[in-house]
Amino acid sequence: MPLSAYLIMSAILFTIGSIGVLARRNPLIIFMSIELMLNAVNLAFVAFSSFLDSADGQMFVFIVLTVAAAEVVVGLAIIVSIFRTRRNIDVDEMNVLRG
Amino acid sequence: MTNLSFGVLILPLLGFMILGVLGRFMSRGAILAVAWGACGLAFVFAALSFLSMIGTPVSGRVSDPTIYTWVVSGNLQISFGQLFDPLSATMLMIVTGVGLLIHIYSAGYMEDDPGFWRFFAYMNFFIFAMVLLVTADNFLFLLVGWALVGLASFLLIGFWYQRRAAVAAAQKAFVINVIGDFGLMLAIFLIFINFGSLNYQDVFGKLSPSALGGPTATAITLLLFLACTAKSAQLPLYMWLPDAMEGPTPVSALIHAATMVTAGVYLVARANPLFELAPVALNIVAGIGGATALFAATIALFQLDIKRVLAYSTISQLGYMFMAEGVHNYTGGIFHLTTHAYFKALLFLGAGAVIHAMGGEQDMRKMGGLRQRMPITFWTFLIAALAISGIFPLSGFWSKDDILGSVLAQANATQNPWFYVLWGVGLLTAALTAFYMFRLFFGIFTGSYRGNVVTAHNEEEEEDEEDGRGEASPRPGHHAGRVGYYDIYEAPAVMTVPLVILAVLSVIGGFVGSLALFGRPQWQPLANFLASVLAVKAPTISFALGWLSTGLSLALALGGIGVAWLLYRGGFEYKESRNPLYQLVFHKYYIDEILTAGLVNPLQALGRFASRFIEGDLLDGGSRGLAFLFRLSSTGLRRLQTGYMRNYALIILLGVVLIVIYYAVRG
Amino acid sequence: MIATQIAFFVLAVASTASAIGVIAFKNAVYSALSLILTLLFLAMFYLQLGAMFIAIVQILIYAGAIMVLFLFVVTMLAPEAGGTEEQDRMPWQRIVGSVLGLTLVGALSYLIFTGTIASGTKADPANSLSAMVAKQGDIQAFGLALFHGFLFPFEVTSLLIVVAILGALIFGRRA
Repeated sequence: MPLSAYLIMSAILFTIGSIGVLARRNPLIIFMSIELMLNAVNLAFVAFSSFLDSADGQMFVFIVLTVAAAEVVVGLAIIVSIFRTRRNIDVDEMNVLRG
Repeated sequence: MTNLSFGVLILPLLGFMILGVLGRFMSRGAILAVAWGACGLAFVFAALSFLSMIGTPVSGRVSDPTIYTWVVSGNLQISFGQLFDPLSATMLMIVTGVGLLIHIYSAGYMEDDPGFWRFFAYMNFFIFAMVLLVTADNFLFLLVGWALVGLASFLLIGFWYQRRAAVAAAQKAFVINVIGDFGLMLAIFLIFINFGSLNYQDVFGKLSPSALGGPTATAITLLLFLACTAKSAQLPLYMWLPDAMEGPTPVSALIHAATMVTAGVYLVARANPLFELAPVALNIVAGIGGATALFAATIALFQLDIKRVLAYSTISQLGYMFMAEGVHNYTGGIFHLTTHAYFKALLFLGAGAVIHAMGGEQDMRKMGGLRQRMPITFWTFLIAALAISGIFPLSGFWSKDDILGSVLAQANATQNPWFYVLWGVGLLTAALTAFYMFRLFFGIFTGSYRGNVVTAHNEEEEEDEEDGRGEASPRPGHHAGRVGYYDIYEAPAVMTVPLVILAVLSVIGGFVGSLALFGRPQWQPLANFLASVLAVKAPTISFALGWLSTGLSLALALGGIGVAWLLYRGGFEYKESRNPLYQLVFHKYYIDEILTAGLVNPLQALGRFASRFIEGDLLDGGSRGLAFLFRLSSTGLRRLQTGYMRNYALIILLGVVLIVIYYAVRG
Repeated sequence: MIATQIAFFVLAVASTASAIGVIAFKNAVYSALSLILTLLFLAMFYLQLGAMFIAIVQILIYAGAIMVLFLFVVTMLAPEAGGTEEQDRMPWQRIVGSVLGLTLVGALSYLIFTGTIASGTKADPANSLSAMVAKQGDIQAFGLALFHGFLFPFEVTSLLIVVAILGALIFGRRA
């Protein structure tokens, strides 16, 4: 398959992830959408690595994977602590910083 | 030739600085020692230099050392130097001599004043400034001296600064003088453009009809004359001088009679090469001089305040000096300057003695019969009055006759009818001068004492003062006209000795002037002395015409005295007249009222308008409006901060999309 | 090559469907499960592209560890979180988001189709990945690339992990 097919695939997944971030109110699902976006980017990296015949793309994916893991850990911890204080995790209720 | 003019300049300055800093703590004797010492030493130096100048041959009578180079900037080079030549020597003698006499007199006049030290500090400062003005060797330092004498005048007119009238008069004097300063500055700019230098010797050395075109010369000289009208109180800028009488009488004598107001006459004489290239300007000078002389004399006819009569008389006599200079007789102008200094200072000092004895009273209606109580003042005042009226053989006769003769000579030479009119004006003014002078004289000294007569006018005044409704606080020593006749004493010696000296000068001072009348042209010491500076070909007249002019003026003067004697010899009875012409002249032609309504009030209204609308609404409103705009925009922009994370994410994504589209479109 | 293409299309459709499932399900657990599915399909994509190690790591770490963590939290919060989707204050957000998404995908597609790859980016044949793989095998090639070229980032990621652990500990404490 040509490179552009994989890139289009990556674009589609990225877009679906971003729509998910905008349209859902449950922070867990928002988080999952973010993971989806990260994975779309990973796909693009691996596609380039394959087509440019270089290992750099896979290295990036490796790093991204690690970062995603760390991010998930901290993010979920935040969500849990918010839930502990507020008993509610609807993001629309977290509007204390409104101007 | 020894030139000690630097000492003459510095000594009064040192006196001013010492008195200014330490005068508050010094004893009376110490203050007088410093003040008299500074002025006296200055006079001694001036006299020594003058005598040595007489001893040197004519060609060597110019000394122009440069004392300090101030500005060297490209083409502009200005240095401070003092020009010592016959004209400045004469002026120095007058300034320091009469100044010294008045310093001595002031010790007696101002003895009760708490600001004694301040007075003498300012007087020394004035002497310094006036010396700077007459000895400066370039136009720029002339301007500096010009402005400094204006400052000294301001300080001294407003000496009793708690009086609102004095402060207003000082302000008026200063503002009107600034108009003159403006003219002088413009003239300096024009001179610099045309000559590249402001030094007298450079400018006058390069003059010739081809070097300087007619219009330019006329412009420069008219601007210089504008400065002279302001400083020497000619039409149309004379209004400050009568008001300046709010200052102490020695100030009026020194500044507003003998020296400062003559600075304009000095300037025209000094710049005579420039004026000779601009005949139009000279005619204007003569015309304004003559018009002012007549105008001021008419006002003086009806004034009741003795100092105001003398003030208008000063304006009138200054008009004579300008008339002389306008018909190429610069020597005549300077000659009349010197004689006028003697008798006008004497008149003012005599009036001051009267005022001092009367406890501050200046209204002629409350005087009378002071001959028996103040004999010395009486005799010296009489001599001065005769001198100013131009009676033979006193000094005023010679100088006034010189002026009128030269006007007639110019009329004869040019056959211009206006010069004949000018000559007639001069004669008429001589008659009026004699009349009002003797009206004043008789009003003060003859008849019976009117001081403790309570008239209706008096009662009103007293009620005002007792209720405290009057705005102006009374002049120091004012007793509301209740000084008893036998409380009036002759002035102390420290005041009468200068009076006597000035009287002697008024008698003999004219003999240095023209005795050409008697067919001896070489017997003109003053003219010969000044000839090296004021070398101008003035037209001459025949013997017969000269005698005609002299005889007419003498006859008219005697006539004026006679009329005054007839009307007032028994004392001055004030009769208020309802004649509208009388009212017009009595109120000084309502000039002050017209100017207030036409100039001052609109300007103040403009100021109020500007303050309220331009500053209040426009500027303050503008900044308030700006603040309002900011608040408005911030209130609007606040709505972007919704607090919802999803909105923020939407905006981020929008940004990303825009960037991608940009790259897509860019290709 | 036709098998590859068919495989690609099948995978494409499937992963798209499960991705949509991630964002569409009301139930968070269903979303999480859809995400796991998507990750698995992506791993197959990696396999197709020849990135063996990455594919396995994806399954092990991402689908195996990270998603399990997600499921823990989802199930812990699920009963309370379930009732939050009643009143949407900003219904327009969904529409705007969809429009933006469509625009994004359209623009990206345009760029992808009309763009060209710069000439110098293909690695020279001596150092290329395929050569390494052919010489030493996949894992070794990957390991060599990681520890020769990317050692420093590798060490830094360990620091990152420490930070994450600390963060989790701090957030996890009671009040």
